[in-house]
Amino acid sequence: MAKQTQVAESRTPRRREQKQSNMSRVLQRRENINGYLFMLPSLIFFVGFVIIPMFICIFYSVTDANMRDTAVHFVGFSNFIDLWQDPVFLEALKNTFLIVVVSVPTVCAFSLWVGSAIYKLKGPLLSAFRCIFYLPVVTGSVAVTVVWKWMFDNYTGIFNSVLKGVGLIDKNVNFLGDSRFAIWCIILILFTTSVGQPIVLYVSALGNVDHSLVEASQVDGATDFQVFWKVKWPQMMPTTLYILVITTINSFQCFALIQLLTQGGSGTNTVMYYIYWTAFKLTEKAGHFGYANAMGVMLAIFIAILSAVQFRLAKEK
Amino acid sequence: MKKAKRLLALALALGLSVSLAACGPKEQGGQQSESPKPSASQPVESQKPVDSQEPADTGSDVAKEITLWTYPIGNWGKEAEVKALTDAFKADTGITVNVEYLAYADGDDKVNSAIAAKNAPDLVMEGPERLVANWGASGYMVDLSDMLSAQDRSEIQESVLNACTATDGAVYEYPLVMTAHCMAVNLDAFKEAGADQYLDLTTHTWTTENFIKAVEALYAHYGDTVAAVYCGGQGGDQGTRALVNNLYGGTFTDAAHTTYTWDDPLNVKAIEQLKGMDGIAFDASLQGGDEIAKFYQGVLKMAFCWNIAQQLDPNSAGTGSGKTVTGEEIAFMSFPSEDGTAALQGGIWGFGIFDNGDASRIEASKLFINYMANSEHTVDAVRTANYFPVRSAAGGVDLSTMWADNDIMNEYQVLMPFLGDYYQVTKGWAQARTSWWNMLQKVGEGADVASTVATYAAEANAAAK
Amino acid sequence: MKSENVRGRVYKIVSIVMLAILAILFLFPLYWIVTGAFKPSADIYAQKPVWLPTEWVVTNFQKLFDRRTAPLFEIFGLVGPTVPAVFRWLVNTVFMAVAAMVLTCLTAAMAGYALAKKRFRGRAIVFGLIVCAMALPKQVILIPLLREMSALNLYGTLWAVIFPTVGWPFGVFLMKQFSESIPGEILEAARVDGSSELRTFITIVFPMVKPGVGALAIFTFISAWNDYFMQLIMLDSNNFYTIALGISTLQSETSIDMGILMAGAALASVPIIVVFLCFQKYFTQGITMGAVKG
Repeated sequence: MAKQTQVAESRTPRRREQKQSNMSRVLQRRENINGYLFMLPSLIFFVGFVIIPMFICIFYSVTDANMRDTAVHFVGFSNFIDLWQDPVFLEALKNTFLIVVVSVPTVCAFSLWVGSAIYKLKGPLLSAFRCIFYLPVVTGSVAVTVVWKWMFDNYTGIFNSVLKGVGLIDKNVNFLGDSRFAIWCIILILFTTSVGQPIVLYVSALGNVDHSLVEASQVDGATDFQVFWKVKWPQMMPTTLYILVITTINSFQCFALIQLLTQGGSGTNTVMYYIYWTAFKLTEKAGHFGYANAMGVMLAIFIAILSAVQFRLAKEK
Repeated sequence: MKKAKRLLALALALGLSVSLAACGPKEQGGQQSESPKPSASQPVESQKPVDSQEPADTGSDVAKEITLWTYPIGNWGKEAEVKALTDAFKADTGITVNVEYLAYADGDDKVNSAIAAKNAPDLVMEGPERLVANWGASGYMVDLSDMLSAQDRSEIQESVLNACTATDGAVYEYPLVMTAHCMAVNLDAFKEAGADQYLDLTTHTWTTENFIKAVEALYAHYGDTVAAVYCGGQGGDQGTRALVNNLYGGTFTDAAHTTYTWDDPLNVKAIEQLKGMDGIAFDASLQGGDEIAKFYQGVLKMAFCWNIAQQLDPNSAGTGSGKTVTGEEIAFMSFPSEDGTAALQGGIWGFGIFDNGDASRIEASKLFINYMANSEHTVDAVRTANYFPVRSAAGGVDLSTMWADNDIMNEYQVLMPFLGDYYQVTKGWAQARTSWWNMLQKVGEGADVASTVATYAAEANAAAK
Repeated sequence: MKSENVRGRVYKIVSIVMLAILAILFLFPLYWIVTGAFKPSADIYAQKPVWLPTEWVVTNFQKLFDRRTAPLFEIFGLVGPTVPAVFRWLVNTVFMAVAAMVLTCLTAAMAGYALAKKRFRGRAIVFGLIVCAMALPKQVILIPLLREMSALNLYGTLWAVIFPTVGWPFGVFLMKQFSESIPGEILEAARVDGSSELRTFITIVFPMVKPGVGALAIFTFISAWNDYFMQLIMLDSNNFYTIALGISTLQSETSIDMGILMAGAALASVPIIVVFLCFQKYFTQGITMGAVKG
């Protein structure tokens, strides 16, 4: 059935296109004008504060621009060449992708598990769980970061105290000051602030699954596991895609965590943070704005590719 | 009819965006009363055309409102205390000073983004490493040498004035206060561990040998980290620099302030020594401020990020001078060195003016600087900073005895002769600081000391060129 | 069949227990903020963490309030009474988040409708751009944005934070997905009836996409509230700080008092949590409505 609706959906645009070709030029023009009028308010902001800056960013990336805006020289692709020889950038790139590659699937899997475990619970219990998992999202990134920093404290933190108390460790673990742990701590905090929305989504998606199909397959003798993967999972595909998109966005945006916990030290530097650092800390470096923008362009290219792939996959499904 | 409606839609859409755009500047206007931006002061400018050639003695081209951004320099980070000073200034001159308080953690970033947005404050209060070596050298600051009369120059300590002067002779910082950065020990903990025998509390100095013995004694008693070589960021890095440099007599830069020399064997030896000591941890989760808090809390028995303002008010907590939170006694100490005479890292703080191209605001800022750093009111400004004055007298008031009634300040005077070279004005300073704490982190994680130090020092030197 | 039932029940019990443990872990940071805010400094600085304040005190709040002051609001030259700056920061944050939310919803609903239902030329390109830019972190365009805001004279104002949030194309994408479900026949009928485009949008389209707007509103509000980065870059004066920025600057080099920080964190999070709990039903409804279509 899911397939059928999809086929129907994919047929409509084609029919419309046919219609469109029959439309008179006047009609097309009217459609153009109306379309743009409705797009206009949004485009002002989108073009003004995303697209134009992006072009300026590309322009800067091939120059030796500094904080001081006099005498900007074209330097070709030397910024980009330097980037690939900069060990800090390469490490940051690695960390950026590590964060995304780890957090996106774990958030999805975890929220799917929680969602399937709680969606059949009674009303108050269900909403209690939903709220609890959503709380870190509403608490606010800075407040959350500040308290986690305290909990992770190397000397008097609650984690060290508890772990020592139950005998799991005998020496304090320097969670945020040790490159073996720091990035995982950041991923963990990011995780707690990311799962709230996906859980809510999965709960409702599971609730909306077509029950007649589930029953039919159960009559056919399918196990719970089979029912889940063969019947429920395909129906939740749109939800899953949406979750993938917002989680990816979230993971790329994680800045406060790094700024307030490690300042990019202990092996937690990311490209986003290194851009900021190059732009506003290393201000004596010649051409630091150009360099930071080159990093931005590289990151944007990677993200655009990632998004394109994600959507291609989504369309195929 | 249809056309009209379409037009209406267009008008609505446009109206929405225009009204939004209009809201921005309006907001800016509302802000005028609080913190003037270049745009906000334009009306003033347009009424009275500014001629920068004209001397400012008429008073007509002096702005009525300026902004001051200050780092937490003693109590210059506390609103109530600073307000008393700016209110007095306003009563005298009619100039309103809007103060923004920066934190060391992200203060530089804020100033830098404001410069990039062409919205730099009029006045900034910090040290020569930022005002002279960074913003001054990049051409954002106003040369203040015309403010210094022969008398001023004779009253201000020569070494301080040198630090505030760029290589081309321009003075980018009008100094107000100074101190020597030192370290501190938890005296009660030292006594308990029997380590107080290694401290000389009259001269407040100790040798490297005694320092090592003291750490051993403390570790034997407490069995845990007693001091941290903090490297979670650049905050408070003067402490780790001074510790490493003094231990075996290494230097951070050469005497001419052109090259970073922290890869010399003496520094490598010191870092290896520290790395090998039980009880001393290279801690990448702490910055200077965190270390102070941990010391104040009694967890760490030594603090490398210390100075007189901290001694007077540990952790700015207002719980009494020279005491930890539980009332244990804190003693300030010079950094250990082989012969006991350390080269202490100086701290100099004063005012600089950002060149925003508005002569009236520069004039007003100069009035402010004169009021705070070169008049009979200087004594209050210095007292608020909790540091020592950089000049013997100001506005006819003798400043050399201003702290005479303060025992702690008097005692602290013993450290002042140890003030070392003010090398923070070396080119590439921001990169050098970043490289320094990154190097400490890598060493802390077990990387080979000599090669790691060499790599990061080379990185710093690349920026010094 | 029976054994499967038993296994099913065991699985259910185990998963509930695990959920309960996880729930405690998720609640713990909040617990730590709230208790931390009311702990006396002896507890804050205790070398062994104190689970419950030995004494509930408000000194942390007092210290926080005494640190900075600011007028409660400033609109068109009207200046409010001087209050502890935290309250001004809260006012700023609410204003910023609400303005971003309203603007985003309005513009995105219109644009989403156009992208879904209007076959205008260049539509594919616009949509392609939107999809590609959606995951773009703002750090990428940080320097150009800063320059732009300074040129527009918006640097240092809350608008400098609001506008880039509105420009972020996720909302348009979401509303486009949502508007796809509007039956073309209804729009056609309205057109035949002579309804203007704008009227069709207001009376027919908007009510139909309302749930999507709700979802977007929540999403935008929360992401604006949490968007520490733009605030850090764009806001330069105490009076225009947001609460997130305010708390982060409480951590300075020379004094770190976890009590004050926790008091700030409590003030930053408790209001929005209360709002969330009150409107919890609409919240979850809104979120879900948006995504099922996505």
